[in-house]
Amino acid sequence: MHSKGERTMQKDKQVTRREFLKGSIGAATAFTIVPRHVLGGPGYTPPSETFGAALIGCGGRGNGTFNAMGLEARKLAICDVKFVGRTDNKMVYTDFRRVLERKDIDVVAIATPPHWHALISIAAMEAGKDVLCEKPMTRFIAEGRAVADAEKRYKRIFQVGTFGRFGASRNPANIETHKIMKSGLLKNCKAVHIKRGGLKVKQWSGIVNPTPQPIPKSLDWDMYCGPSPLKPYHPHRTGGTHRGYWDYEGGGLTDMGQHHFDPVQWTFAKDDTSPVEIEAYAPPAHPEACGMWGWVEMKYADGLTFVFDSSEWPTQGEPSYDRKENREVSLSDLSEDDQKKIAAMPAPEPLITFAEAVKTRKRAGGNADAANRSATLMHLANIAIRTGRKIHYDPVKEEIIGDDRANRLVNPPMRAPWHL
Amino acid sequence: MAKTSSALNELVSELPDPDERGMYCTDINKTKIEKVIARINKGGHDSIIGLVNMLVEPGKGDDAKPRYALHCLAVYVCKRKNRKNRKAFANSLAMQLADDYSKAVKSYLIRQLQVAGGREVVPTLGKLLHDEELCEPAAQALVAIGSGAATQLRNALPEAGGKCRLTIIQNLGVVRDRNSVGTLNRALGDDDRETRPAAAWALANIGDARSVKALLKAADSQGWERIQATKACLLLAERLLSAGKKKEAVGIYTHLRDTRSDPDEHYVREAAEKGLAITNRKARMGG
Repeated sequence: MHSKGERTMQKDKQVTRREFLKGSIGAATAFTIVPRHVLGGPGYTPPSETFGAALIGCGGRGNGTFNAMGLEARKLAICDVKFVGRTDNKMVYTDFRRVLERKDIDVVAIATPPHWHALISIAAMEAGKDVLCEKPMTRFIAEGRAVADAEKRYKRIFQVGTFGRFGASRNPANIETHKIMKSGLLKNCKAVHIKRGGLKVKQWSGIVNPTPQPIPKSLDWDMYCGPSPLKPYHPHRTGGTHRGYWDYEGGGLTDMGQHHFDPVQWTFAKDDTSPVEIEAYAPPAHPEACGMWGWVEMKYADGLTFVFDSSEWPTQGEPSYDRKENREVSLSDLSEDDQKKIAAMPAPEPLITFAEAVKTRKRAGGNADAANRSATLMHLANIAIRTGRKIHYDPVKEEIIGDDRANRLVNPPMRAPWHL
Repeated sequence: MAKTSSALNELVSELPDPDERGMYCTDINKTKIEKVIARINKGGHDSIIGLVNMLVEPGKGDDAKPRYALHCLAVYVCKRKNRKNRKAFANSLAMQLADDYSKAVKSYLIRQLQVAGGREVVPTLGKLLHDEELCEPAAQALVAIGSGAATQLRNALPEAGGKCRLTIIQNLGVVRDRNSVGTLNRALGDDDRETRPAAAWALANIGDARSVKALLKAADSQGWERIQATKACLLLAERLLSAGKKKEAVGIYTHLRDTRSDPDEHYVREAAEKGLAITNRKARMGG
């Protein structure tokens, strides 16, 4: 027989990570967990709050992404394609599939280059893990929908690593804008949000004619390329500078864009839709290396306009975009009656962090649907740059209207055996 | 191979030089580039052949400008919305795939067909599906084009081996070729551990009821293959439900609900229960 206290401990042990995270106990159990200070004094972490964790992608953003989980996590595995020759398949791996087979891993931090983000996120959720994924969430549009489908199918937690939206969601001015936009009372929205500069266009460009180099012995190059075309190795295609190639990311726009527009998207209550018209001003794009562009204008169905202004082309350090000015949404855009309706609206639900979401099984604030929409902004912008033509997008079907060849960039085929 | 004309050489030379970092980040003149591409396009078939002749294997010389020009041309002919122009461009490139260029150059040409090609180049791409070095780009170009791809992939599968076989199997799933269900069901028992999950996903994506039994059996495997085959079962159930095949979908969900009794697979059981609930709701609504 167990004493009451022992039973509490015993139950707590039984509810460790696995059942808790697999959702069998779910939110109902959350309030039954005895606070850590009662169980073991200050600093003690009960087993139910300790999570088996893995880091997949151990480059520059690896530890930062892992720590951003904000959980008491035991790092049980690290995985990177550059670990060839030092794997033990106990702690150190090169193949993420072997990591995901492990039943003692509950949460996965993904900090690989973006061409792997969606596939590993999906595979992790299929294996029952929760996922914190570094931004950008995806390399192309269809990946985002597939991640969101997996999140819902398996009821796992997914959070993209752009935390600007949490701060934005607590800002009173943003909350007011959010309520106005969410209410649907504003017809013919004339708001314009322009992001000028800070998109690292030149910094994250690619080499147009790289001379192939010998593959380092420590690197599994085939696995690095993964779903992307197998190209000759060049170090510039890896180690951070991978950002400059369409095969792995989408230049500084993709790299920095989601950071900026993810919170803006929340502020304007656009987490469930996408722009319908996208137009870019850019020179013809290179087939492999990301390069220069001037601006991209993206208009939603209600008239709201987002603009990326590189301020790096045609002239470095000067605005490239002069078609519209920044214009905010305000209560004065509404009639007095409508203003009263806004004042009567409840404040939006606070966004839930990854750690809270994992513990309570509530959906994370930067969940897959929201992250898909903010990643889509960058992908649509890049499609307009790469095709050199104005794009009309269907936010429901998530495909380009009337342009089959532009649609080839919405869901490009993957190299087998990788598929969504 | 035709000789490259001096006029074409001159036009290509007007395209930007890579900067000191090897990038197109300095002195990029949009108007000038677009004018050059428009003029190259006017040169028609000969200009295209001329550009292809300038391409070299990576590391065997500097072909940055003709490489860029060819891609710009592929995008340009799509942008013009002139069907005849685009088709002529695609046919000119496709013809070169039978010529004596290196595999690396041919791979690049195929990637441009993925951008601008249409049904007219499908048979040519189909012939490359047995080439170990070109089957991946060829299959990808085929499925990007879509129309006519399934026949090429299906016909190529019996004689394909290794990487080509894996690539074809996966892409038969991408194009959702119902005529390949029998072959793909057999591939679930393939000796290759990459091929089995690829076949499972392909069958699931096709969404044919004939795959139910074999996929449920595959989902009894262990490790990564169990995870992937389980995903395939859930996807197949969703596809079947969308197609109105409730009985078959219920069979899948019931099997998963009843076999995923381990706490580690509770999330799969929940997914199956959710699927059953949706199915029942649809049945009540007469959907």
